[in-house]
Amino acid sequence: MKIKERKTTPAPPGARKAVASILLGCSLVILGHQSADATAINGSSETILRMREGVFDDHLFPLYEYLNLAASDSAGPGTISLEIGGWGRVDLGDRSFEHRTEGDVQYGFLSYRANRGNFTANAGRQWVVEGVATERIDGLYLRTDLLGGFTAAAYVGNPAVIQTDFNGGDLIYGGRLAHTMPKYYSLGISALRTETSGEGIREEEGVDLWLHPVAMLDVTGRSTYNSLTRGWMEHAYTASFTPTDALHVSASLQNVHYEDYFYQVTTNTLSLTNGFIAPGEEMWNVGGSVGFNATKNIGLSAEYNHYEYDLAGGADYYGVTGNFGTTTGFAAGASFHRMDGSNDRLRYNQYRAWATQKFGPADLTLDFFDVDFDGSISGRENTFSLAAAAGYDFSRNLRVAADVDYIRSADFDNELRGLIRLSYAFGVGKEGKQ
Amino acid sequence: MKKTAYVMVMGIMLSFLYACANTNSIARVHPEEVKGLPRCAECHNDQWTALSHQTQDFYLKHKIYAAQQRDACNTCHKESFCVRCHAHKEEIKPSDKYKDRPELSLPHRGDYLSRHRVEGRINPASCLKCHGRQNNERCKTCHK
Repeated sequence: MKIKERKTTPAPPGARKAVASILLGCSLVILGHQSADATAINGSSETILRMREGVFDDHLFPLYEYLNLAASDSAGPGTISLEIGGWGRVDLGDRSFEHRTEGDVQYGFLSYRANRGNFTANAGRQWVVEGVATERIDGLYLRTDLLGGFTAAAYVGNPAVIQTDFNGGDLIYGGRLAHTMPKYYSLGISALRTETSGEGIREEEGVDLWLHPVAMLDVTGRSTYNSLTRGWMEHAYTASFTPTDALHVSASLQNVHYEDYFYQVTTNTLSLTNGFIAPGEEMWNVGGSVGFNATKNIGLSAEYNHYEYDLAGGADYYGVTGNFGTTTGFAAGASFHRMDGSNDRLRYNQYRAWATQKFGPADLTLDFFDVDFDGSISGRENTFSLAAAAGYDFSRNLRVAADVDYIRSADFDNELRGLIRLSYAFGVGKEGKQ
Repeated sequence: MKKTAYVMVMGIMLSFLYACANTNSIARVHPEEVKGLPRCAECHNDQWTALSHQTQDFYLKHKIYAAQQRDACNTCHKESFCVRCHAHKEEIKPSDKYKDRPELSLPHRGDYLSRHRVEGRINPASCLKCHGRQNNERCKTCHK
């Protein structure tokens, strides 16, 4: 299964689909709309210049442009929309990554959404989140309400994966069927399959649930089964209890079988063959948290998680967080967390304190983050970062922010990083947040 | 031939069930503009109260809500919002990109390169959804 040579193709299927989607979408939106009131075209641009030193004393000034565009027309019995987003980078100084220029189409799809029955059809590069599926695909996605509280979703396409070490497949398809009583529950069953030349390399089925038997109780979770290894990949459930507006109590349970969960990845880092992920390992994570809003301006929370393993030693992660805000634009927070692993190399204290103040259109932020390791990480027992950020809103649509970050890490004694971000939102009509 | 007939029958059945559903679609845009982290219970007393972003476990549970009813998320959030963290390929950590938003639950704050050696041992399952098949090119720098 290992790919020895990385294959490059002049135009990946996703790119072709994205371009086709853009052309089709633009023609539909520009030529096909019947009412200017029903049309919305908007977007956002983020231009980011990073400034830092590399490990070889090289001077890195990568300049990024993140661009997101959305156009929709809702003149008919539904809404046709086009959404596309991606980024590009050029190195103004020394080479920051493998190539001096890089970019990616994160998503680009044409969508139709009916006014009735929540019918949705998407075509192009998109992120499908349906039951067991949390997949980015270049393909087709359909979802609809059915009779009697049932809903159905299906998708098919090419998995848009990054294949650093292993093949991620050439075809992915799956779906989800669910029944919902809006005030009480939603229960879903779902499945996905990924194939390479007709051979299944991933087969997962699962159930997901949201239960709301009484107003104060909310239970969410899912169980996922790997058909190829014939084992449960994961059970993950969370119960939340809200006895008063000010108090929120939560308990969670997670069980992961590594052999089934890490069965097919595209990176050696998380593969079962790298010696880091033990194939026979099973992890149980039991935890809970309490959140309390002491006043409208003060929020406190405490959390605890216990990890138990078949092969490795156990671990505990616990901590407290406090947040404070005023109506005058001041907000602050502080937290302490302890990771208590089975040996010194897996133990640390984590401290964070931050504060931000608005001065009309301007704002100033300080953020301190410190980690104190019981053992040493590459000869370092304490790492921290101290960031100062300032922003200015020239208008509702135009913001400039800059920050300086001083870091002492396992790799640098004294590292100074800078970033300048110009954010611009534009468009006509109102269609959600970019 | 059998497969085609099967698909056609299924398609007709689903079309019939869809036609009979007769439900209203969720609004494409939230009728009220929502600023900051919303506390849905301020206006809702139905199932949407569960989506309150201010509870300490919302970050943990939002994947289930998204996997069950993403249209509800889409009333306020576009795809561009999700890819800030759930990226196909990304070179800037969200917490580096938005240092002026300290209140957000952005992953990997501070010097995470040192800390990931611990958290990757304790719970590698939490890494997989974002780095198992997506956004994994930089891993190769150290993990040969």
